[in-house]
Amino acid sequence: MIPSIGHAAIVVGFGLTLYSLAAHVLAGRSGDARLSVSARRAIIGSFVAAGVGCLAMIVSLLTHDFSVLYVAENNATTTPPFISVISLWAALEGSILFWTLLATGWAALVLHRYRARHRALMPWVGATLSAVNLFFFAVMVWPGNPFLLTAPVGSEGSGPNALLQNHPFMALHPPLLYLGYTGLAVPFAFGIAALITRRLDEEWLRIVRRWTLVPWIFLTLGIVAGAWWSYEVLGWGGYWAWDPVENAALLPWLTATAFVHSAMVAERRGGLKIWTAALVIATFVLTLVGTFLTRSGIVASVHSFTQSAIGPWFLGAIVISLVASLTLLVWRLPQLVGGGRASGTVSRESAFLFNNVLFLGLTFAVLFGTLLPLIVASTSGDTISVGAPWFNTVTVPIFVALLFLMGVGPALPWGTASWTTVRSRFITPLAVAAATTALALVAGLREAVPLGTLALAAFVGTIMLDEIVRGARSRARARSEDPATATWHLATRNRRRYGGYTVHLGVLVMAVAVAISSGLASDRTVTLAPGESAEIGGYVIRHDRLAIEPLASDARVIETRAEVTYSGPQSGTLATALRDYPNSQAAIATPAVRTSLAEDLYVTLLASDAATGAVTLHLFLNPLVVWIWIGGAIVGLGAGFAIWPERRPRTVEVAEAHQAPAAAMVEGT
Amino acid sequence: MRRTRWLLVPIIVIPVTWLLLSGFSRDPREVASPLIGRPAPEWTLTTLDGETLSSNDLAGRPYVVNFWASWCIPACVDEHPVLADAFARFGDDVEFVGILYQDDPAAAAGFLGRYGDAGYPHVMDPGGRMAIEFGVTGPPETFFVDAAGNVADKNFGPLTDAVMAEKLNSIMPAASR
Amino acid sequence: MIRWWPAAAVGLAFAVAALAVITILTPSGSTPDQRADALAGELRCPDCQGLSVADSPTQSAREIRRQIDGLVGEGASDDAVRQHFVDRYGEWILLAPTAPAAWILPYAAILAGSIALAAWLRARRSSNAPPSPTLTEDERRRIRADAEALDA
Repeated sequence: MIPSIGHAAIVVGFGLTLYSLAAHVLAGRSGDARLSVSARRAIIGSFVAAGVGCLAMIVSLLTHDFSVLYVAENNATTTPPFISVISLWAALEGSILFWTLLATGWAALVLHRYRARHRALMPWVGATLSAVNLFFFAVMVWPGNPFLLTAPVGSEGSGPNALLQNHPFMALHPPLLYLGYTGLAVPFAFGIAALITRRLDEEWLRIVRRWTLVPWIFLTLGIVAGAWWSYEVLGWGGYWAWDPVENAALLPWLTATAFVHSAMVAERRGGLKIWTAALVIATFVLTLVGTFLTRSGIVASVHSFTQSAIGPWFLGAIVISLVASLTLLVWRLPQLVGGGRASGTVSRESAFLFNNVLFLGLTFAVLFGTLLPLIVASTSGDTISVGAPWFNTVTVPIFVALLFLMGVGPALPWGTASWTTVRSRFITPLAVAAATTALALVAGLREAVPLGTLALAAFVGTIMLDEIVRGARSRARARSEDPATATWHLATRNRRRYGGYTVHLGVLVMAVAVAISSGLASDRTVTLAPGESAEIGGYVIRHDRLAIEPLASDARVIETRAEVTYSGPQSGTLATALRDYPNSQAAIATPAVRTSLAEDLYVTLLASDAATGAVTLHLFLNPLVVWIWIGGAIVGLGAGFAIWPERRPRTVEVAEAHQAPAAAMVEGT
Repeated sequence: MRRTRWLLVPIIVIPVTWLLLSGFSRDPREVASPLIGRPAPEWTLTTLDGETLSSNDLAGRPYVVNFWASWCIPACVDEHPVLADAFARFGDDVEFVGILYQDDPAAAAGFLGRYGDAGYPHVMDPGGRMAIEFGVTGPPETFFVDAAGNVADKNFGPLTDAVMAEKLNSIMPAASR
Repeated sequence: MIRWWPAAAVGLAFAVAALAVITILTPSGSTPDQRADALAGELRCPDCQGLSVADSPTQSAREIRRQIDGLVGEGASDDAVRQHFVDRYGEWILLAPTAPAAWILPYAAILAGSIALAAWLRARRSSNAPPSPTLTEDERRRIRADAEALDA
């Protein structure tokens, strides 16, 4: 009964979305307000339908209803309730159902928010979002039905994928990532609407910048959560392997970040219409390409869902979106060219635009590296690999250059900079960078990459600090406030700028943490009998005992567990295990990670001897890893701060458009 | 900038579509083998029965080497009858040898007990050295060696009757086909 | 001077980064163990998803590591060790492609992009007209429409 409800909900959702598409297109052409209202209600209805579908699936999973094929393949009677619920997105069909819920949610939110404004744009925004959602509903109605029934109904299911049961982040990473992916359809929809109605102006930019940043936050957090999860679960001591699916999430992030920066230039100086529109389109298409790579099976990856009939559908969606958006863009090209005020070669604009060149260069590099094996195989039949060594070597210099620009860009004024300004701004930061490098060398740090990153971080950090301090000081003097209050008032009145500083600070923290954790990590592999110890860094690890027994939470899983005691800067016990899941051929590693602000002690069980109780352990000492996650959180918080609505009441939009240039000159933001 | 700008659309769309489409006809995990046309690796290993078997014992006749494992389900289960059938029909002309991939003798014997033992020998590969010599990335993989001792063909993944017949043809003496 | 400053600055950044990268690439030491470690980082584990032999705990990875240690111990050069595995698995076993084009292409793209940007900036500057203080007809029409919409 429940599966039928779920399936019916999906079909209803499909119908509502189809209606919404037609009604929105008609409303766009005729301007009929009632059509708009009814179309909007249809989208809200589709969101409810998707919600019912998800609920039905969750109930089926919780009740272990093995008549549903998805449940039989991803659930078992021994599966704990928490795992059952998050198995909604554990495999292909369920993940598309969850995706559709979020996509319809975004559409409903945006259309509701702007229901009384931007009358020319919104019907076309609704039409585009309906078209996108229609695709996902269609996939669920035809090739990827999550409520497909199976007969005869087994008494037991296969259980969830072993890798997905090990860690609570399974509940965090996919939802965050999907919120990011699905949300990026919104700026795309505004882009298409603007191209259709020829309203690619500052108003459009402001809306799209905000609606890019919100999903961007989720995407950033989702990517960082994914890296953290794989670090805690996979056992090789690393957090980013340049796996195709990791790259798939990174690609739209890169173009979205590029867009946010060039949008600022476009807002200040005008122009750049083709470029910003193209970026918004590229971001959406890349989310589709990324999802396609994960689900089509054409690229082998840690993550691949099994190859299925869904692949060709996604390819169709990519082709259609590309053709439609490119055609629109090319059609409007003559009207979009030109405009905007020029600026000097050394200015914030050029720095931001060069940052775009670098971000797009990164996008090209990552896309190229991910697809090169496919390109070579399709043209010559040879098989090659493009792995971490290539990606690291190619992308690290670009990241370093971006880091440099991140410091330089905001320190340059809009317009043209004079040599004196430039020199005065950068002398102190350069000096601080040199001093930091000297200090680090004296402290014993000799590796080139960590040293270079520290120097760059000092350079960029000093520039940022200088900006903030200077602003706070002048305000404190002018208003007789203490520095802290002054800074806070400045920040809340210039959320974009100070949010931006916070994001950049987070990026700095992550950059330093990544450089030092990869450059200064140490590891060793040891075999210990019970009672024996080994040393790594300042720690002594003693193997206590080897236990082989079923898991308390799921008796079908046999755990081979090594219990160790560690002493050193911190002391305590750790347990690292290999778990044998019935539906997985290889045992799944459960590394033990003891995190502190300074370093992570990371222990993986490689092999064991049941007879003697001896274990082979891979020990890692990874410095500063926790700061990667902290840095990611800072980035999210900064971006959130940037888009938080300001308390200043908004006057009529019409007047505001004229105030903007004047206000910009006065506040210098 | 007039008509020519429309070229942008096919210029971008066509290569992207072709590339992504071409991915569908291949298995991304399959690796092209450099062994084809070159002498097959030599080996001396112990069978499940405890005897020693060497590639030299098979010299002068064509033979099929099949890497498999008891945990390789469902692929190895699916191809098991195909191999048994081929051995039954062509075992006089072509030798068959199974090499266990990351497996233990008890589990392998259990697999043969459950799915049937065709009668050709299976050898253990301790440490996985032979798997590396043959460039195996995971079971099942099958190599077809001709009478001269060169690898004539390789099959990645489970065998089907049709593929087995086709690849056997490339190593069997003309008279027996 | 001003004209060349940003190019020089970014060039310097790249040079520093390149230096850092070259330091990563050159083998950090020539003891057999360090060479074996470096080589293990370059070879792909056959039955993993993209991990290197150095990072992987599987049996095949351990066997390859054993073979690397053996070959290095016998005095084989780095190239000879790589070739040993390429003979068995093909180029696929190497985690980075050997063709120079694969390494140059991304930087060629960035170079092309930078040149395009420089040209665009120069073109914008030369065709620059001062911002019009009055509204264009388009803007006028839209203001009227928006005002009416608000009144509606």
